Amino acid sequence: MIGILQAKFKSFIRNPWTFVTFTGMSLIFALIFGGAGVDKAFIPVYSSDETIKDSYIGKQLVKQDAFQFSWMSEEQLLEKIEKGNAENGVILHEDDFEIIVGVDSFNTELVNEMISSVYQDKAERERIVELANQNNKDSDFILAKLDTALENPIFDVQTATFRGEGAFVYDNSLHRVFGFSLFFVIYTIAYNVLPILVEKKEGIWDRMILSPLKKWEMYIANLLYSFFMGYVQVLVIFLTFRYIIGVNFHGAFFETLLLLIPYVFAIVSLAILITALVKKVQQFNAVLPIVSVSMAMIGGAYWPIEIVESEALLALSKINPLTYGMEILTGSAVYGYSLPELLVPISILILMGVVLMGLGIHLMERRHI
Amino acid sequence: MIELVNLSKRFKQMYAVKNLNMFIEKGEIIGLLGPNGAGKSTAISMLSSLIEPTSGDVLYQNKSILKNPSAFRKIVGMVPQDIALYEDLTAEENLMFFGRIYQLSGKELSRKVDEVLEQIGLRDRKKDIVKKFSGGMKRRLNIGVAMLHDPELLIMDEPTVGIDPQSRSYILETVKRFNEERQMTVLYTSHYMEEVEFLCDRIYIMDKGNLIAAGTKDEIKQILSSENTISITVERLNDAFIEALEQHPMTNRVTIGEKEVTILVPRETKAFSEIIKLAESTKLDLVSVDNKTPTLEDVFLHLTGRALRD
Ligand SMILES: Nc1ncnc2c1ncn2[C@@H]1O[C@H](COP(=O)(O)OP(=O)(O)O)[C@@H](O)[C@H]1O
Ligand SMILES: [Mg+2]
Repeated sequence: MIGILQAKFKSFIRNPWTFVTFTGMSLIFALIFGGAGVDKAFIPVYSSDETIKDSYIGKQLVKQDAFQFSWMSEEQLLEKIEKGNAENGVILHEDDFEIIVGVDSFNTELVNEMISSVYQDKAERERIVELANQNNKDSDFILAKLDTALENPIFDVQTATFRGEGAFVYDNSLHRVFGFSLFFVIYTIAYNVLPILVEKKEGIWDRMILSPLKKWEMYIANLLYSFFMGYVQVLVIFLTFRYIIGVNFHGAFFETLLLLIPYVFAIVSLAILITALVKKVQQFNAVLPIVSVSMAMIGGAYWPIEIVESEALLALSKINPLTYGMEILTGSAVYGYSLPELLVPISILILMGVVLMGLGIHLMERRHI
Repeated sequence: MIELVNLSKRFKQMYAVKNLNMFIEKGEIIGLLGPNGAGKSTAISMLSSLIEPTSGDVLYQNKSILKNPSAFRKIVGMVPQDIALYEDLTAEENLMFFGRIYQLSGKELSRKVDEVLEQIGLRDRKKDIVKKFSGGMKRRLNIGVAMLHDPELLIMDEPTVGIDPQSRSYILETVKRFNEERQMTVLYTSHYMEEVEFLCDRIYIMDKGNLIAAGTKDEIKQILSSENTISITVERLNDAFIEALEQHPMTNRVTIGEKEVTILVPRETKAFSEIIKLAESTKLDLVSVDNKTPTLEDVFLHLTGRALRD
């Protein structure tokens, strides 16, 4: 068994192009469509009061990282909204603000909440300064203390996302990274399972069957190898996005790496079933894109599954491993679900893996031998 | 050593092999001859326990191998019809890999690999990747892999398909050497009758799943002993001559070429004078009339009415 793995890895080093291609494709597609880094909603800001830009409020708007505020003139702001370049615009005054709504999306409410809280903070700070002055205390000193206290709270308050409960959160760049990784890894895995078919036809398997090697060792070696290649591919993609491009996994990076395992396992099993069902490599090449693209479309790899409304497609998505793969990854990284909350999709994937693999190996044994 | 008893294999409604009876003694080179689709590969897959027969049995030392093939598998070396090698590995790495799955290791493994490389004449190319090999070199390595565990019985499925004449004669010589030096028993499958004629002591001929002839070379040619093959070359063929030949009581079979007619006649007939008479009466110019010694090709033609390779 070790021998088979060694032979496979040696062949891989000599000929890594399938792997490199699909890894590269996932990276490129996720980059193009995710527009990683610039996915923050763009909000034009205007104020007739020049000083606001450099005041506390202006600084707080730059500091937060949910939206990208951009200062401009009132005409420019209105033009951006009219042309649909921005969903909302903001006009700031000394003590209150207006939101110009172009498209009423869930972002509008979030912008409103965010800016309100900045104004509230500002009002509070002003009151502190006022009180300090009345009592002849050093107001700057108190404010500095307040800031340090806010940054190092005594109570460790867990905040998942400021966007609040129940909101439909759509983290575009993370979604694309997950979607394209789970999609392209189907190819890498499938093309690593395919050699079983070729080796059977050419007689390499016959040679192994006649040798003291056991049948199960042959299957395990092939499946382990495919699993490993698939896993490494996603690992490379995630690492690239996390550490080179700097996509925020919301602190769940290592969890997502672990939670990938059931999905990769299910896809290895699916690949062996497809391999068992086709007779020729050409058939395999024809079937694979159909299966993988439809899985990606109804599984929410290209767009969030939440926007799919057709009953039939939703029903189909329930037997699609990719749906559960996305559910687990976004569940953990975007919604911050804990392991028990993800137990259902994880179990479904493992079950699918076991059933598909059993079926695949059974068919393979019956058909070709 | 090995006996096939009424062995049959059916795929859906079609018999790929039907009631095949065959035996192989130790130290023999046995030829299994037949055109494409005759059922040769299916027969040897059953013989080597790779596929299960629909009916019949395979005996090794008088015991069936169907239930418990492991003892038998140890003594079998199989050369598949296709190139069953890892194309991205070198010749040496391939041999190492297949040696390891036969549980060879360390010094013993490298000694064996060197020995095989020497035998198949690839020692200078052992570090080259198989993908870059010529057809002949791949075929040689394909055979070499089957030799690693010193099999007593070497089963070769059309090992010379699609290669140049030098490589082919190299392979034939190698097989003959294995047989002579190590008393290795060989089952050699081919659709080239001259290979089988060169190598084999005994020959089985299959067509469309059926065994149509079996025996030593001479025995098989005896099938034709009651007949002579006569080849007639002419300036220009005419229909009257062909018709006259076909009508003539001495002729058993007429095969027509462009400027040549081959006929089978009973051995005792005075064919030459009859042919000359027929030519005169149909105004045909003869170039030559030859009596041919029969080949296996002729036997096949006689038995099936078709050429071996078509
Ligand atoms: N796995 C299979 N399923 C269906 N038909 C098969 C299978 N293997 C071989 N055959 C058929 O059996 C016949 C004999 O094939 P084969 O043994 O490969 O012949 P040969 O080796 O003499 O060329 C052919 O007609 C072939 O199409
Ligand atoms: Mg064949």
